[in-house]
Amino acid sequence: MTYDASVQKDGDDSTTSGGSRPFWGRVVNWRPYQGLVAIVTVSPRRQFFILVAFPVLWLLTQHLGPMLQMLHVSLLDAYPVAPGTAHTFTFDNYMRFLGDRIFWQPFFRTLTFAAVFTFCTLIITYPVAYFLARHVSRKNRMLMLLLLLIPFWVGEIVRTYAIMILLGNTGAVNQVLKWVGLIDRPIPFMYTSFSMGVGIVYLTALYMLLPLYSALEKLPKSYNEAAADLGAGAWTRFRRVTLPLTLEGISSGCTLVFLISTGFYATPVLLGGPSTTVFAETIAGFFHVAGDEWPTGAAFAVIMFAGALAITGVFQRLMKALRKGDTA
Amino acid sequence: MNRGNRVALACCYWALVVYVFVPLILMIVMGFKDSKFIGFPIQSWTLDWYAGVFSDAEVLYTFGYSVLIAVLSTLISVIVGTWIAVLLEGRKFWGRAVMFGLMVLPALVPGIISAIAFRIYARWLGIEPGIGAIIWAHAVHNVPFVSLVVMARLSTLPKSQIEAARDLGADALIAFMRVTLPYLVPAILGASVFCLLLSFDDFVRSFFLGGYEPTLPVLIFAMLRSGMSPEINAIATAALVLTAAIGIWAERFTRQNSKESQV
Repeated sequence: MTYDASVQKDGDDSTTSGGSRPFWGRVVNWRPYQGLVAIVTVSPRRQFFILVAFPVLWLLTQHLGPMLQMLHVSLLDAYPVAPGTAHTFTFDNYMRFLGDRIFWQPFFRTLTFAAVFTFCTLIITYPVAYFLARHVSRKNRMLMLLLLLIPFWVGEIVRTYAIMILLGNTGAVNQVLKWVGLIDRPIPFMYTSFSMGVGIVYLTALYMLLPLYSALEKLPKSYNEAAADLGAGAWTRFRRVTLPLTLEGISSGCTLVFLISTGFYATPVLLGGPSTTVFAETIAGFFHVAGDEWPTGAAFAVIMFAGALAITGVFQRLMKALRKGDTA
Repeated sequence: MNRGNRVALACCYWALVVYVFVPLILMIVMGFKDSKFIGFPIQSWTLDWYAGVFSDAEVLYTFGYSVLIAVLSTLISVIVGTWIAVLLEGRKFWGRAVMFGLMVLPALVPGIISAIAFRIYARWLGIEPGIGAIIWAHAVHNVPFVSLVVMARLSTLPKSQIEAARDLGADALIAFMRVTLPYLVPAILGASVFCLLLSFDDFVRSFFLGGYEPTLPVLIFAMLRSGMSPEINAIATAALVLTAAIGIWAERFTRQNSKESQV
Protein backbone atom coordinates (compact mmCIF):
# COMPACT_ATOMS: atom_id res chain seq x y z
CA MET A 1 0.00 0.00 0.00
CA THR A 2 1.73 3.08 -1.24
CA TYR A 3 -0.93 5.30 0.24
CA ASP A 4 0.21 4.80 3.80
CA ALA A 5 3.82 5.61 2.97
CA SER A 6 2.91 8.80 1.17
CA VAL A 7 0.85 10.00 4.11
CA GLN A 8 3.73 9.41 6.48
CA LYS A 9 5.98 11.61 4.42
CA ASP A 10 3.42 14.30 3.78
CA GLY A 11 3.75 16.78 6.62
CA ASP A 12 1.16 19.25 5.34
CA ASP A 13 -1.61 16.72 5.49
CA SER A 14 -1.95 16.96 9.27
CA THR A 15 -2.75 20.68 9.11
CA THR A 16 -5.74 20.15 6.86
CA SER A 17 -7.33 16.99 8.16
CA GLY A 18 -6.15 17.04 11.76
CA GLY A 19 -6.62 13.84 13.69
CA SER A 20 -8.11 11.83 10.87
CA ARG A 21 -4.73 10.69 9.53
CA PRO A 22 -4.11 7.88 11.97
CA PHE A 23 -7.66 6.71 11.40
CA TRP A 24 -7.30 6.47 7.64
CA GLY A 25 -3.86 5.03 7.97
CA ARG A 26 -5.24 2.31 10.22
CA VAL A 27 -8.14 1.66 7.85
CA VAL A 28 -5.78 1.19 4.94
CA ASN A 29 -3.64 -1.28 6.83
CA TRP A 30 -6.59 -3.18 8.24
CA ARG A 31 -6.60 -6.70 6.77
CA PRO A 32 -10.34 -7.03 6.06
CA TYR A 33 -10.19 -3.69 4.26
CA GLN A 34 -7.27 -4.83 2.17
CA GLY A 35 -9.18 -7.99 1.34
CA LEU A 36 -12.19 -5.96 0.33
CA VAL A 37 -10.13 -3.71 -1.91
CA ALA A 38 -8.47 -6.73 -3.47
CA ILE A 39 -11.86 -8.21 -4.34
CA VAL A 40 -13.35 -4.94 -5.58
CA THR A 41 -10.47 -3.63 -7.62
CA VAL A 42 -9.46 -6.71 -9.56
CA SER A 43 -10.48 -4.92 -12.73
CA PRO A 44 -12.26 -1.65 -13.58
CA ARG A 45 -14.99 -3.82 -15.02
CA ARG A 46 -15.70 -5.57 -11.75
CA GLN A 47 -15.45 -2.28 -9.88
CA PHE A 48 -18.15 -0.90 -12.13
CA PHE A 49 -20.39 -3.92 -11.71
CA ILE A 50 -20.20 -3.71 -7.94
CA LEU A 51 -21.05 -0.02 -8.10
CA VAL A 52 -23.91 -0.66 -10.49
CA ALA A 53 -25.50 -3.78 -8.99
CA PHE A 54 -27.26 -2.20 -6.01
CA PRO A 55 -28.72 0.84 -7.83
CA VAL A 56 -30.04 -1.34 -10.65
CA LEU A 57 -31.64 -3.70 -8.17
CA TRP A 58 -33.12 -0.81 -6.19
CA LEU A 59 -34.46 1.01 -9.23
CA LEU A 60 -36.08 -2.12 -10.65
CA THR A 61 -37.61 -3.43 -7.43
CA GLN A 62 -38.42 -0.18 -5.64
CA HIS A 63 -39.05 2.42 -8.33
CA LEU A 64 -40.44 0.32 -11.14
CA GLY A 65 -41.81 -2.57 -9.07
CA PRO A 66 -44.76 -0.76 -7.45
CA MET A 67 -45.90 0.59 -10.81
CA LEU A 68 -45.68 -2.83 -12.48
CA GLN A 69 -47.47 -4.54 -9.62
CA MET A 70 -50.23 -1.93 -9.82
CA LEU A 71 -50.56 -2.69 -13.53
CA HIS A 72 -50.62 -6.39 -12.76
CA VAL A 73 -53.32 -6.11 -10.10
CA SER A 74 -55.41 -3.91 -12.40
CA LEU A 75 -55.68 -6.84 -14.79
CA LEU A 76 -56.79 -9.39 -12.18
CA ASP A 77 -60.38 -10.39 -11.53
CA ALA A 78 -59.79 -10.52 -7.78
CA TYR A 79 -57.05 -9.45 -5.39
CA PRO A 80 -55.66 -10.75 -3.17
CA VAL A 81 -55.94 -14.07 -4.93
CA ALA A 82 -57.59 -16.57 -2.63
CA PRO A 83 -55.35 -19.58 -1.99
CA GLY A 84 -56.22 -22.57 -4.13
CA THR A 85 -58.10 -20.60 -6.77
CA ALA A 86 -56.68 -19.66 -10.10
CA HIS A 87 -56.76 -15.97 -10.95
CA THR A 88 -57.68 -14.90 -14.43
CA PHE A 89 -56.67 -11.87 -16.41
CA THR A 90 -59.41 -9.54 -17.45
CA PHE A 91 -60.07 -6.07 -18.81
CA ASP A 92 -63.34 -5.77 -16.87
CA ASN A 93 -61.82 -3.27 -14.43
CA TYR A 94 -61.03 -0.92 -17.29
CA MET A 95 -64.45 -1.48 -18.87
CA ARG A 96 -66.08 -0.47 -15.63
CA PHE A 97 -64.57 2.98 -16.05
CA LEU A 98 -66.20 3.51 -19.43
CA GLY A 99 -69.53 2.12 -18.32
CA ASP A 100 -70.41 4.64 -15.66
CA ARG A 101 -70.75 8.39 -15.70
CA ILE A 102 -69.83 8.69 -12.03
CA PHE A 103 -66.39 7.35 -12.96
CA TRP A 104 -65.41 9.22 -16.09
CA GLN A 105 -66.91 12.53 -15.03
CA PRO A 106 -64.44 12.99 -12.12
CA PHE A 107 -61.69 11.81 -14.45
CA PHE A 108 -62.24 14.55 -17.01
CA ARG A 109 -62.94 17.06 -14.24
CA THR A 110 -59.57 16.27 -12.67
CA LEU A 111 -57.71 16.77 -15.93
CA THR A 112 -59.58 20.00 -16.70
CA PHE A 113 -59.04 21.38 -13.19
CA ALA A 114 -55.37 20.45 -13.25
CA ALA A 115 -54.91 22.19 -16.61
CA VAL A 116 -56.75 25.34 -15.47
CA PHE A 117 -54.91 25.48 -12.13
CA THR A 118 -51.57 24.95 -13.89
CA PHE A 119 -52.34 27.86 -16.20
CA CYS A 120 -53.32 30.05 -13.23
CA THR A 121 -50.08 29.15 -11.46
CA LEU A 122 -48.11 30.08 -14.57
CA ILE A 123 -49.86 33.46 -14.89
CA ILE A 124 -49.30 34.23 -11.21
CA THR A 125 -45.68 33.17 -10.94
CA TYR A 126 -44.24 34.32 -14.29
CA PRO A 127 -44.24 38.05 -13.41
CA VAL A 128 -42.76 37.20 -10.02
CA ALA A 129 -39.96 35.12 -11.52
CA TYR A 130 -39.36 37.86 -14.09
CA PHE A 131 -39.22 40.50 -11.38
CA LEU A 132 -36.75 38.51 -9.27
CA ALA A 133 -34.49 37.63 -12.18
CA ARG A 134 -34.50 41.04 -13.88
CA HIS A 135 -35.27 43.84 -11.47
CA VAL A 136 -33.71 42.76 -8.20
CA SER A 137 -30.06 43.05 -7.28
CA ARG A 138 -28.20 39.78 -6.88
CA LYS A 139 -27.88 40.30 -3.15
CA ASN A 140 -31.56 40.88 -2.46
CA ARG A 141 -32.63 38.21 -4.92
CA MET A 142 -31.81 35.27 -2.67
CA LEU A 143 -33.47 36.92 0.32
CA MET A 144 -36.63 37.66 -1.62
CA LEU A 145 -36.72 34.13 -3.00
CA LEU A 146 -36.16 32.76 0.49
CA LEU A 147 -39.11 34.76 1.76
CA LEU A 148 -41.32 32.93 -0.73
CA LEU A 149 -39.74 29.58 0.13
CA ILE A 150 -40.60 29.68 3.84
CA PRO A 151 -44.34 28.90 3.52
CA PHE A 152 -43.55 26.08 1.13
CA TRP A 153 -41.71 24.12 3.81
CA VAL A 154 -45.02 23.86 5.62
CA GLY A 155 -47.02 20.72 4.88
CA GLU A 156 -49.89 20.18 2.51
CA ILE A 157 -52.48 19.60 5.22
CA VAL A 158 -51.51 22.61 7.31
CA ARG A 159 -51.64 24.91 4.29
CA THR A 160 -54.97 23.47 3.18
CA TYR A 161 -56.35 24.14 6.63
CA ALA A 162 -55.03 27.70 6.46
CA ILE A 163 -56.99 28.21 3.22
CA MET A 164 -60.13 26.84 4.93
CA ILE A 165 -59.77 29.54 7.57
CA LEU A 166 -59.09 32.24 4.98
CA LEU A 167 -62.11 31.50 2.81
CA GLY A 168 -64.69 30.40 5.37
CA ASN A 169 -67.97 32.27 5.84
CA THR A 170 -66.49 34.06 8.85
CA GLY A 171 -63.03 34.02 7.30
CA ALA A 172 -60.78 36.96 6.61
CA VAL A 173 -61.80 37.51 2.99
CA ASN A 174 -65.50 37.71 3.78
CA GLN A 175 -64.84 39.93 6.79
CA VAL A 176 -62.80 42.37 4.73
CA LEU A 177 -65.40 42.49 1.96
CA LYS A 178 -68.14 43.12 4.53
CA TRP A 179 -66.11 45.80 6.24
CA VAL A 180 -65.44 47.58 2.95
CA GLY A 181 -69.17 47.38 2.30
CA LEU A 182 -69.11 45.32 -0.88
CA ILE A 183 -71.30 42.57 0.53
CA ASP A 184 -73.99 42.17 3.20
CA ARG A 185 -73.86 38.45 3.68
CA PRO A 186 -70.79 36.23 3.30
CA ILE A 187 -70.00 34.74 -0.09
CA PRO A 188 -69.82 30.94 0.18
CA PHE A 189 -66.30 30.48 -1.22
CA MET A 190 -65.72 27.15 0.49
CA TYR A 191 -66.47 23.73 -1.02
CA THR A 192 -66.39 25.04 -4.57
CA SER A 193 -63.93 24.74 -7.43
CA PHE A 194 -62.76 28.23 -6.48
CA SER A 195 -61.62 27.27 -2.98
CA MET A 196 -60.03 24.15 -4.41
CA GLY A 197 -58.18 26.27 -6.96
CA VAL A 198 -56.91 28.70 -4.34
CA GLY A 199 -55.64 25.75 -2.32
CA ILE A 200 -53.98 23.88 -5.17
CA VAL A 201 -52.32 26.96 -6.66
CA TYR A 202 -51.01 27.71 -3.18
CA LEU A 203 -49.53 24.23 -2.93
CA THR A 204 -47.94 24.15 -6.38
CA ALA A 205 -46.77 27.75 -6.96
CA LEU A 206 -43.17 27.03 -5.95
CA TYR A 207 -42.78 24.16 -8.41
CA MET A 208 -43.64 26.62 -11.17
CA LEU A 209 -41.66 29.55 -9.79
CA LEU A 210 -38.30 27.78 -9.54
CA PRO A 211 -38.03 26.48 -13.15
CA LEU A 212 -39.24 29.85 -14.47
CA TYR A 213 -36.76 31.71 -12.29
CA SER A 214 -33.80 29.60 -13.37
CA ALA A 215 -34.79 29.94 -17.04
CA LEU A 216 -35.10 33.72 -16.74
CA GLU A 217 -31.89 34.04 -14.78
CA LYS A 218 -29.91 32.21 -17.44
CA LEU A 219 -31.16 34.55 -20.15
CA PRO A 220 -28.47 37.18 -20.87
CA LYS A 221 -29.64 40.77 -20.56
CA SER A 222 -27.75 41.65 -23.74
CA TYR A 223 -30.36 39.83 -25.87
CA ASN A 224 -32.98 42.29 -24.74
CA GLU A 225 -30.64 45.23 -25.21
CA ALA A 226 -29.86 44.07 -28.75
CA ALA A 227 -33.58 43.85 -29.51
CA ALA A 228 -34.07 47.33 -28.06
CA ASP A 229 -31.25 48.69 -30.22
CA LEU A 230 -32.98 47.23 -33.23
CA GLY A 231 -36.06 49.23 -32.32
CA ALA A 232 -38.26 46.64 -30.60
CA GLY A 233 -40.65 47.98 -27.97
CA ALA A 234 -41.07 46.47 -24.51
CA TRP A 235 -43.94 44.22 -25.50
CA THR A 236 -42.24 43.04 -28.69
CA ARG A 237 -39.06 42.34 -26.76
CA PHE A 238 -40.99 40.22 -24.30
CA ARG A 239 -42.98 38.39 -26.96
CA ARG A 240 -40.15 37.81 -29.43
CA VAL A 241 -37.13 37.40 -27.15
CA THR A 242 -37.88 36.66 -23.52
CA LEU A 243 -40.92 34.42 -23.90
CA PRO A 244 -39.51 32.13 -26.64
CA LEU A 245 -36.24 31.71 -24.78
CA THR A 246 -37.97 30.75 -21.52
CA LEU A 247 -40.36 28.27 -23.15
CA GLU A 248 -38.26 25.42 -21.81
CA GLY A 249 -38.73 26.63 -18.23
CA ILE A 250 -42.44 27.13 -18.84
CA SER A 251 -42.69 23.66 -20.29
CA SER A 252 -40.98 21.90 -17.39
CA GLY A 253 -42.78 23.98 -14.76
CA CYS A 254 -46.18 23.30 -16.29
CA THR A 255 -45.49 19.57 -16.64
CA LEU A 256 -44.43 19.30 -13.02
CA VAL A 257 -47.35 21.33 -11.68
CA PHE A 258 -49.87 19.49 -13.85
CA LEU A 259 -48.69 16.08 -12.65
CA ILE A 260 -48.70 17.21 -9.02
CA SER A 261 -52.14 18.81 -9.34
CA THR A 262 -53.73 15.62 -10.64
CA GLY A 263 -52.43 13.70 -7.62
CA PHE A 264 -53.91 15.75 -4.76
CA TYR A 265 -56.23 13.84 -2.50
CA ALA A 266 -56.56 15.62 0.85
CA THR A 267 -56.91 19.12 -0.58
CA PRO A 268 -59.95 18.34 -2.79
CA VAL A 269 -61.50 16.36 0.06
CA LEU A 270 -61.16 19.30 2.47
CA LEU A 271 -61.65 22.27 0.14
CA GLY A 272 -63.92 20.82 -2.53
CA GLY A 273 -67.57 19.87 -2.41
CA PRO A 274 -69.87 17.23 -3.85
CA SER A 275 -69.86 18.97 -7.24
CA THR A 276 -66.06 18.97 -7.43
CA THR A 277 -65.26 15.32 -6.73
CA VAL A 278 -61.90 14.55 -8.31
CA PHE A 279 -60.65 11.22 -9.60
CA ALA A 280 -58.28 10.79 -6.67
CA GLU A 281 -61.31 10.53 -4.40
CA THR A 282 -62.88 7.97 -6.74
CA ILE A 283 -59.69 5.88 -6.68
CA ALA A 284 -59.32 6.17 -2.91
CA GLY A 285 -62.91 4.93 -2.51
CA PHE A 286 -61.91 1.50 -3.80
CA PHE A 287 -59.24 1.15 -1.14
CA HIS A 288 -61.36 2.06 1.86
CA VAL A 289 -63.66 -0.90 1.38
CA ALA A 290 -62.80 -4.59 1.58
CA GLY A 291 -59.95 -5.84 -0.58
CA ASP A 292 -61.93 -7.17 -3.50
CA GLU A 293 -62.26 -3.70 -5.01
CA TRP A 294 -58.50 -3.26 -5.30
CA PRO A 295 -58.22 -4.37 -8.94
CA THR A 296 -60.72 -1.71 -9.99
CA GLY A 297 -58.90 0.93 -7.95
CA ALA A 298 -55.60 -0.13 -9.49
CA ALA A 299 -57.09 0.02 -12.99
CA PHE A 300 -58.42 3.50 -12.33
CA ALA A 301 -55.03 4.63 -11.04
CA VAL A 302 -53.42 3.28 -14.22
CA ILE A 303 -56.01 5.13 -16.31
CA MET A 304 -55.32 8.34 -14.45
CA PHE A 305 -51.55 8.06 -14.77
CA ALA A 306 -51.85 7.23 -18.47
CA GLY A 307 -54.22 10.14 -19.01
CA ALA A 308 -51.96 12.61 -17.19
CA LEU A 309 -48.87 11.34 -19.03
CA ALA A 310 -50.63 11.52 -22.40
CA ILE A 311 -51.57 15.14 -21.80
CA THR A 312 -48.09 16.17 -20.63
CA GLY A 313 -46.62 14.29 -23.60
CA VAL A 314 -48.79 16.18 -26.08
CA PHE A 315 -48.06 19.43 -24.25
CA GLN A 316 -44.30 18.90 -24.40
CA ARG A 317 -44.51 18.07 -28.11
CA LEU A 318 -46.40 21.30 -28.69
CA MET A 319 -43.88 23.33 -26.74
CA LYS A 320 -41.04 21.76 -28.67
CA ALA A 321 -42.70 22.57 -31.97
CA LEU A 322 -43.27 26.12 -30.75
CA ARG A 323 -39.61 26.47 -29.77
CA LYS A 324 -38.41 25.20 -33.14
CA GLY A 325 -40.86 27.41 -35.00
CA ASP A 326 -39.60 30.46 -33.17
CA THR A 327 -35.92 29.92 -33.72
CA ALA A 328 -36.35 29.04 -37.41
CA MET B 1 -42.46 53.14 -19.04
CA ASN B 2 -39.67 51.07 -17.60
CA ARG B 3 -40.32 52.38 -14.13
CA GLY B 4 -44.04 51.66 -14.35
CA ASN B 5 -43.19 48.13 -15.43
CA ARG B 6 -40.93 47.67 -12.47
CA VAL B 7 -43.54 48.85 -10.00
CA ALA B 8 -46.19 46.61 -11.53
CA LEU B 9 -43.86 43.61 -11.30
CA ALA B 10 -42.95 44.45 -7.71
CA CYS B 11 -46.67 44.52 -6.91
CA CYS B 12 -46.99 41.01 -8.40
CA TYR B 13 -44.21 39.81 -6.13
CA TRP B 14 -45.66 41.33 -2.98
CA ALA B 15 -49.13 40.06 -3.91
CA LEU B 16 -47.71 36.54 -4.05
CA VAL B 17 -46.01 37.08 -0.70
CA VAL B 18 -49.36 38.13 0.77
CA TYR B 19 -51.07 35.13 -0.82
CA VAL B 20 -48.62 32.62 0.67
CA PHE B 21 -48.22 34.25 4.09
CA VAL B 22 -51.66 35.58 5.05
CA PRO B 23 -53.42 32.18 5.32
CA LEU B 24 -50.68 30.89 7.61
CA ILE B 25 -50.66 34.04 9.75
CA LEU B 26 -54.44 33.85 10.12
CA MET B 27 -54.17 30.23 11.14
CA ILE B 28 -51.58 31.06 13.79
CA VAL B 29 -53.65 33.98 15.11
CA MET B 30 -56.80 31.85 15.38
CA GLY B 31 -54.94 29.43 17.63
CA PHE B 32 -54.82 32.14 20.31
CA LYS B 33 -58.51 33.04 20.12
CA ASP B 34 -60.53 32.50 23.27
CA SER B 35 -63.47 30.75 21.62
CA LYS B 36 -64.26 27.34 20.16
CA PHE B 37 -65.45 29.07 17.04
CA ILE B 38 -62.92 29.76 14.26
CA GLY B 39 -63.45 33.11 12.56
CA PHE B 40 -63.70 36.82 13.10
CA PRO B 41 -64.26 38.86 15.20
CA ILE B 42 -61.78 38.01 17.94
CA GLN B 43 -62.83 39.27 21.38
CA SER B 44 -60.25 37.85 23.75
CA TRP B 45 -57.07 35.81 23.69
CA THR B 46 -55.90 32.64 25.38
CA LEU B 47 -53.09 30.09 25.52
CA ASP B 48 -55.40 27.31 26.65
CA TRP B 49 -55.44 25.55 23.31
CA TYR B 50 -51.67 25.20 23.36
CA ALA B 51 -51.68 24.06 26.98
CA GLY B 52 -54.30 21.47 26.09
CA VAL B 53 -52.49 20.20 23.05
CA PHE B 54 -49.07 19.97 24.68
CA SER B 55 -50.44 18.02 27.63
CA ASP B 56 -52.23 15.60 25.30
CA ALA B 57 -50.21 12.39 25.28
CA GLU B 58 -51.62 11.27 21.93
CA VAL B 59 -50.57 14.46 20.17
CA LEU B 60 -47.08 14.34 21.66
CA TYR B 61 -46.75 10.68 20.72
CA THR B 62 -47.84 11.47 17.15
CA PHE B 63 -45.24 14.22 16.96
CA GLY B 64 -42.49 11.83 17.98
CA TYR B 65 -43.81 9.12 15.68
CA SER B 66 -43.69 11.48 12.68
CA VAL B 67 -40.19 12.66 13.52
CA LEU B 68 -38.97 9.07 13.88
CA ILE B 69 -40.42 8.16 10.49
CA ALA B 70 -38.84 11.24 8.92
CA VAL B 71 -35.38 10.50 10.35
CA LEU B 72 -35.30 6.81 9.44
CA SER B 73 -36.67 7.27 5.93
CA THR B 74 -34.22 10.11 5.32
CA LEU B 75 -31.27 7.91 6.32
CA ILE B 76 -32.28 5.31 3.73
CA SER B 77 -32.98 7.91 1.02
CA VAL B 78 -29.65 9.63 1.53
CA ILE B 79 -27.56 6.47 1.29
CA VAL B 80 -29.41 5.07 -1.71
CA GLY B 81 -29.79 8.42 -3.44
CA THR B 82 -26.09 9.25 -3.12
CA TRP B 83 -25.10 5.83 -4.38
CA ILE B 84 -27.30 6.22 -7.47
CA ALA B 85 -26.00 9.75 -8.04
CA VAL B 86 -22.36 8.65 -7.91
CA LEU B 87 -23.13 5.96 -10.47
CA LEU B 88 -25.07 8.19 -12.86
CA GLU B 89 -23.02 11.39 -12.78
CA GLY B 90 -20.25 11.81 -15.30
CA ARG B 91 -20.27 8.24 -16.55
CA LYS B 92 -21.35 6.97 -19.91
CA PHE B 93 -22.68 3.45 -20.09
CA TRP B 94 -25.36 1.47 -21.80
CA GLY B 95 -28.77 2.06 -20.21
CA ARG B 96 -27.81 5.24 -18.36
CA ALA B 97 -30.74 7.22 -19.78
CA VAL B 98 -33.16 4.48 -18.73
CA MET B 99 -31.66 4.40 -15.24
CA PHE B 100 -31.99 8.16 -14.97
CA GLY B 101 -35.64 7.94 -16.01
CA LEU B 102 -36.31 5.24 -13.43
CA MET B 103 -34.49 7.29 -10.80
CA VAL B 104 -36.79 10.32 -11.17
CA LEU B 105 -39.95 8.22 -11.58
CA PRO B 106 -41.14 8.30 -7.92
CA ALA B 107 -40.92 12.10 -7.89
CA LEU B 108 -43.08 12.46 -10.99
CA VAL B 109 -45.86 9.99 -10.18
CA PRO B 110 -48.88 11.98 -8.90
CA GLY B 111 -49.41 11.61 -5.14
CA ILE B 112 -52.50 9.46 -5.05
CA ILE B 113 -51.18 7.05 -7.68
CA SER B 114 -47.87 6.71 -5.88
CA ALA B 115 -49.70 5.98 -2.62
CA ILE B 116 -51.90 3.35 -4.26
CA ALA B 117 -48.94 1.70 -5.99
CA PHE B 118 -47.01 1.53 -2.70
CA ARG B 119 -50.08 0.17 -0.91
CA ILE B 120 -50.46 -2.64 -3.45
CA TYR B 121 -46.74 -3.40 -3.52
CA ALA B 122 -46.48 -3.43 0.28
CA ARG B 123 -49.26 -6.01 0.44
CA TRP B 124 -47.58 -8.09 -2.23
CA LEU B 125 -44.30 -7.99 -0.29
CA GLY B 126 -46.15 -8.85 2.89
CA ILE B 127 -45.41 -5.55 4.65
CA GLU B 128 -48.23 -4.74 7.04
CA PRO B 129 -49.56 -1.17 7.04
CA GLY B 130 -47.78 0.74 9.78
CA ILE B 131 -44.49 2.38 10.57
CA GLY B 132 -42.38 0.05 8.41
CA ALA B 133 -44.53 0.57 5.34
CA ILE B 134 -44.56 4.35 5.79
CA ILE B 135 -40.78 4.56 6.23
CA TRP B 136 -40.26 2.41 3.15
CA ALA B 137 -42.66 4.46 0.99
CA HIS B 138 -41.19 7.77 2.13
CA ALA B 139 -37.65 6.51 1.54
CA VAL B 140 -38.39 5.39 -2.02
CA HIS B 141 -40.31 8.55 -2.80
CA ASN B 142 -37.47 10.80 -1.58
CA VAL B 143 -34.57 9.07 -3.33
CA PRO B 144 -34.88 11.13 -6.56
CA PHE B 145 -34.57 14.41 -4.66
CA VAL B 146 -31.32 13.27 -3.02
CA SER B 147 -29.93 11.92 -6.29
CA LEU B 148 -30.68 15.11 -8.24
CA VAL B 149 -29.13 17.40 -5.63
CA VAL B 150 -26.04 15.22 -5.20
CA MET B 151 -25.62 14.86 -8.98
CA ALA B 152 -25.70 18.63 -9.38
CA ARG B 153 -22.97 19.05 -6.77
CA LEU B 154 -20.91 16.14 -8.11
CA SER B 155 -20.86 17.67 -11.58
CA THR B 156 -18.87 20.61 -10.18
CA LEU B 157 -16.17 18.44 -8.56
CA PRO B 158 -12.97 18.84 -10.59
CA LYS B 159 -11.89 15.45 -11.88
CA SER B 160 -8.28 16.46 -11.24
CA GLN B 161 -8.83 16.22 -7.47
CA ILE B 162 -9.71 12.54 -7.68
CA GLU B 163 -6.82 11.95 -10.07
CA ALA B 164 -4.46 13.70 -7.66
CA ALA B 165 -5.62 11.43 -4.83
CA ARG B 166 -5.19 8.37 -7.00
CA ASP B 167 -1.71 9.53 -8.05
CA LEU B 168 -0.77 9.85 -4.40
CA GLY B 169 -1.64 6.19 -3.99
CA ALA B 170 -5.22 6.24 -2.72
CA ASP B 171 -7.34 3.37 -3.99
CA ALA B 172 -10.79 4.14 -5.41
CA LEU B 173 -12.52 3.63 -2.07
CA ILE B 174 -10.17 5.91 -0.15
CA ALA B 175 -10.35 8.53 -2.89
CA PHE B 176 -14.13 8.42 -2.63
CA MET B 177 -14.16 8.62 1.17
CA ARG B 178 -11.59 11.39 1.45
CA VAL B 179 -12.19 13.51 -1.65
CA THR B 180 -15.62 12.92 -3.13
CA LEU B 181 -17.66 12.43 0.02
CA PRO B 182 -16.39 15.51 1.91
CA TYR B 183 -17.05 17.55 -1.22
CA LEU B 184 -20.63 16.24 -1.29
CA VAL B 185 -21.39 16.94 2.38
CA PRO B 186 -23.22 20.26 1.85
CA ALA B 187 -25.39 18.73 -0.87
CA ILE B 188 -26.11 15.66 1.23
CA LEU B 189 -27.05 17.77 4.24
CA GLY B 190 -29.29 19.99 2.15
CA ALA B 191 -30.97 16.98 0.60
CA SER B 192 -31.41 15.36 4.04
CA VAL B 193 -33.26 18.38 5.37
CA PHE B 194 -35.44 18.42 2.28
CA CYS B 195 -36.24 14.72 2.77
CA LEU B 196 -36.97 15.24 6.47
CA LEU B 197 -39.48 17.95 5.60
CA LEU B 198 -41.03 15.96 2.74
CA SER B 199 -41.51 12.98 5.01
CA PHE B 200 -42.75 14.97 7.99
CA ASP B 201 -45.25 16.85 5.80
CA ASP B 202 -46.36 13.92 3.68
CA PHE B 203 -50.01 13.06 3.91
CA VAL B 204 -51.10 10.82 1.09
CA ARG B 205 -48.54 8.03 1.51
CA SER B 206 -48.81 8.05 5.30
CA PHE B 207 -52.59 7.95 5.00
CA PHE B 208 -52.75 4.92 2.72
CA LEU B 209 -49.85 3.00 4.27
CA GLY B 210 -50.49 3.81 7.92
CA GLY B 211 -52.02 1.39 10.32
CA TYR B 212 -53.92 2.56 13.37
CA GLU B 213 -51.31 5.07 14.51
CA PRO B 214 -51.59 8.32 12.57
CA THR B 215 -48.69 10.56 11.60
CA LEU B 216 -49.13 14.25 12.36
CA PRO B 217 -50.68 15.28 9.00
CA VAL B 218 -52.99 12.27 9.13
CA LEU B 219 -54.05 13.21 12.66
CA ILE B 220 -54.80 16.78 11.59
CA PHE B 221 -56.76 15.48 8.61
CA ALA B 222 -58.80 13.15 10.81
CA MET B 223 -59.55 15.99 13.26
CA LEU B 224 -60.55 18.27 10.37
CA ARG B 225 -63.11 15.77 9.11
CA SER B 226 -65.04 16.32 12.29
CA GLY B 227 -64.85 20.09 12.01
CA MET B 228 -62.47 22.97 12.59
CA SER B 229 -61.29 23.64 16.12
CA PRO B 230 -58.63 25.81 17.77
CA GLU B 231 -56.78 22.68 18.90
CA ILE B 232 -56.04 21.96 15.27
CA ASN B 233 -54.64 25.48 14.94
CA ALA B 234 -52.34 24.86 17.88
CA ILE B 235 -51.08 21.52 16.50
CA ALA B 236 -50.69 22.90 12.97
CA THR B 237 -48.84 25.95 14.28
CA ALA B 238 -46.43 23.76 16.23
CA ALA B 239 -45.77 21.72 13.09
CA LEU B 240 -45.35 24.91 11.07
CA VAL B 241 -42.83 26.38 13.48
CA LEU B 242 -40.81 23.17 13.47
CA THR B 243 -40.70 22.81 9.68
CA ALA B 244 -40.05 26.48 8.97
CA ALA B 245 -37.27 26.61 11.56
CA ILE B 246 -35.53 23.54 10.11
CA GLY B 247 -35.94 24.94 6.61
CA ILE B 248 -34.49 28.34 7.44
CA TRP B 249 -31.61 26.81 9.38
CA ALA B 250 -30.77 24.50 6.47
CA GLU B 251 -30.94 27.35 3.98
CA ARG B 252 -28.51 29.43 6.03
CA PHE B 253 -26.24 26.47 6.58
CA THR B 254 -26.00 25.52 2.90
CA ARG B 255 -25.49 29.15 1.90
CA GLN B 256 -22.60 29.55 4.33
CA ASN B 257 -21.12 26.32 3.09
CA SER B 258 -21.34 27.23 -0.56
CA LYS B 259 -19.72 30.58 0.22
CA GLU B 260 -16.81 28.83 1.91
CA SER B 261 -16.30 26.42 -0.96
CA GLN B 262 -16.24 29.28 -3.43
CA VAL B 263 -13.36 30.98 -1.65
